[in-house]
Amino acid sequence: MNNNDDAVPGSPRVEAIAVQRRFGDVTALSEVSLTVAPGEFVTLLGPSGCGKTTLLRIIAGFDQPTAGSLRLNGRDVTKVPAHRRPVNMVFQRPALFPHLDVASNVAFGPRIAGIGKAELRTRVDDALAMVRLDGFQRRRAHELSGGQMQRVALARAIVNRPEVLLLDEPLSALDLRIRLEMEEELRRLHRELGATFVYVTHDQREALALSDRIAVFSGGRIEQIGTPDEVYNRPATPFVARLVGDANVIAVDAAPGESNSSVIRLGDVSVLVNGKVRGPAWLVVRPENVQLGLPGVAEALIGTIVDVSFRGTGFAYRVDIAGLPHPLKSEVPGGPPLAVGERVSVAWLPSAVCLLERDDQHHAGKIGLNQQ
Amino acid sequence: MLAAIPAAAWMLAFFFVPLLIFAVYSFLTTRLYDVETPFTLQAYRDALSDPINRTLAWNSIVVGVLTASICVGAGLPIAYWLRFVADRSRLAVLFLITASMFASYLVRIYAWRTMLGKNGIINEALRAIGVIDEPLNFILYNRFAVVIALVHIFLPYVVLVLYAGMNPVSPSLLEAGQDLGASSSLLWRRVLLPIMAAPSFNAFVFVFVLSASDYVTPQFLGGTSGATIGVRVQTSFITLGNWPLAAATSFLMLASFGLLHLVGSALLRRMHLHDIRLAS
Amino acid sequence: MVSRQRSPFATAVVIASLLFLFVPLLVVVLFSFHSVGALTLPFRGFSLRWYREIWKSDEFRTSLVNSAVVAAATGAVTMVLGTLAAYALSATRSRLRAPLALLLFLPLTLPGLFVGLSLLVMFGRAGVSLSLWTVAGAHLVYVMPYYLLIAVATLQRLDVALEEAAADLGATRWVVFTKVTLPQVWPVLMGATFLAFALSFDEFVITFFVIGPESTLPLYIFSSLRRTVDPSINAISTLLLAITLALFALSFALTTRGGRDQALAVPVEGGRREQQ
Repeated sequence: MNNNDDAVPGSPRVEAIAVQRRFGDVTALSEVSLTVAPGEFVTLLGPSGCGKTTLLRIIAGFDQPTAGSLRLNGRDVTKVPAHRRPVNMVFQRPALFPHLDVASNVAFGPRIAGIGKAELRTRVDDALAMVRLDGFQRRRAHELSGGQMQRVALARAIVNRPEVLLLDEPLSALDLRIRLEMEEELRRLHRELGATFVYVTHDQREALALSDRIAVFSGGRIEQIGTPDEVYNRPATPFVARLVGDANVIAVDAAPGESNSSVIRLGDVSVLVNGKVRGPAWLVVRPENVQLGLPGVAEALIGTIVDVSFRGTGFAYRVDIAGLPHPLKSEVPGGPPLAVGERVSVAWLPSAVCLLERDDQHHAGKIGLNQQ
Repeated sequence: MLAAIPAAAWMLAFFFVPLLIFAVYSFLTTRLYDVETPFTLQAYRDALSDPINRTLAWNSIVVGVLTASICVGAGLPIAYWLRFVADRSRLAVLFLITASMFASYLVRIYAWRTMLGKNGIINEALRAIGVIDEPLNFILYNRFAVVIALVHIFLPYVVLVLYAGMNPVSPSLLEAGQDLGASSSLLWRRVLLPIMAAPSFNAFVFVFVLSASDYVTPQFLGGTSGATIGVRVQTSFITLGNWPLAAATSFLMLASFGLLHLVGSALLRRMHLHDIRLAS
Repeated sequence: MVSRQRSPFATAVVIASLLFLFVPLLVVVLFSFHSVGALTLPFRGFSLRWYREIWKSDEFRTSLVNSAVVAAATGAVTMVLGTLAAYALSATRSRLRAPLALLLFLPLTLPGLFVGLSLLVMFGRAGVSLSLWTVAGAHLVYVMPYYLLIAVATLQRLDVALEEAAADLGATRWVVFTKVTLPQVWPVLMGATFLAFALSFDEFVITFFVIGPESTLPLYIFSSLRRTVDPSINAISTLLLAITLALFALSFALTTRGGRDQALAVPVEGGRREQQ
């Protein structure tokens, strides 16, 4: 399963080419293309039903695309059945074999590959040690906690030394505390194994913390592929902006300003922002970049606080601004909190915002997420 | 708790007490269509020493094993299909199989006698397509016919039991196996069959016991090679009037069924397959 | 969307098995309408003559009525005793529960041959003459475990909270049972009773031993089979098939539809004790 003798050298580990998957009238994936380099940690991020799990299952071989192709190491594997692909998958629910103990579960793949008994034992012990479950060899699935079961599932996958490890929301069924621990483990595993990881999640925080690159999915299409920094700070679409970091996305009209900037009107105030978009646009500004201050500066944006909530590291506010249809979200570190009803000035650095072109018809349907 | 008393009393009176009396009878001496003391083991000795009994016992075992094996052997793929392969047709097929369970026992026996007979459908069909000239005589009045009819009777039940056993198995389990490199046959050998071992064994024993005790099918379809011990028990009771003998033979049969079950369960336990807890 | 497995082998087995199960029965049904006495093809036209013939037979009519009467009696008594017993099994926490369950379910494991024989012996010893009553009594033993399987499973899925609420409002146990529990489960129980009818109607193996001079429909078929091959058996068989299948369809409709009307339990917490 690991020797890819006919692999084309220098080719990406995983390549999805114009993959399409239809189920009757429903299109789960429309013309999705994705390239994953060897050793990369790529996350497929999106809400449920967006197609990310479908793509993962196509890579694994449990599903066939209706159009397009899939290559692993340069070799076309679209028609190759799952049990013959050099990939291994960790499922959302551990799927441990109930009739086998932990060691036999982990040994399942190598045993099929014909690995000898002695080497088998070493490999199994090593894999279990890697997921910090040394000593659990004789236990059975029903004796383990959720986190432990997932770690066995991980061990069972990595013991085969796959070139590509697929993970389908493996942490979604776990408690928050355990999830955070497991994230650390996953990062460590990725470093130690050097394998290519393709990860699926709907949790954007997880995606930002784990990935080398993120592919944001919506409605069967990839909206943006980029590093966590790119996706966070330079979202390509309002959907991405809202999904990752829950930004403020405001419909505006941009007029030309000086050199690289534009002028937009918010309520009665004109604001200068970076970006050369003209005409209908989306103004994207993240809550942590929205600064609140004392009112009184002329020509500044003025708003009224309508909601305050404590976030541990600071406070989150919603500020009503005349002329804007929804309150603006702001996050301010530290305290003391402002009160509901207080009037504040609202400002941000021109470089801390993003201006995206707006095409009303195209995006109308996509603003379903996080209606303010 | 008290509410159960009437039902319990009925069961005691009409099930356990009769069995007890029947058991006692096996230790009594026979007197045409009646029994008398003294207590003796003669009936058991007669039952065990009779050479015809040995042949019939062997026949019963063969019929039982064949029937149970075919039922479980076909039942597993059908249950698999219902659980993992079927899409929109699952409910329809389930309904059909459950419905077929209710076809009358005697009608099935009659149906197969008609189908397998000299002028029956099977012979007619084979003649029509030219495979044979003379009707096949050997497909009726032997073990083969008995097994076919018994399979027809028990297959639906076995399918439902195995389907119930397979239902809690999550498809992810199969996919995990495939992901780890298992082909179809390895999936069966290493994952499905171990998980299904206990329900399959129970279904097997159930069918075996009922097939070996059946006394109607062999009478109509069995001829000589298909006669079973059940028939013997029935005749020694009704025609010969030797009640202790019938009782002794019956309890010997029951004892061997019990033994089979114990041995099988012990084996399953040995292999850690007797109690597999499937996660939700 | 979970993709289904693919297996042409399994699909073939399913198709072959469905054919295997239904073709023989369909053949019987087909030839019951045959206009001539032959049981071979070619088919020479439809006719109801065999049905008319069997209807002329007094023996047939009485055995049909006998079967119905026995089935009705068995079904009715099973429903009453079985519902009470199921209620006890599902609600009690006493240590007697396991032995009680054993007592009530054990007949499932014993082949009818032994049940019939032992009953015959006991009736003989007790001087009870064999009749339709002894048949009904025996049928109850055979049918009860099947009824209990369905009834207990249904009662266990009920949400205890409803009954507790009623009790809290002042209802006695009897009122709770009649006004809260029964209204939720009666369709399923009716379905189980129809199942009991069907099982009793078709029962032969035990009936053979404990019946008196009368005859039930399966017994009538049995003696017909022993005589020469008579095409009217097809008609009788088809009739029996139709009756039991109709009862099954009724049972099925009631148990699946009725199951949806229940306030289903939150697993473990809300429902009654999980049992094996």
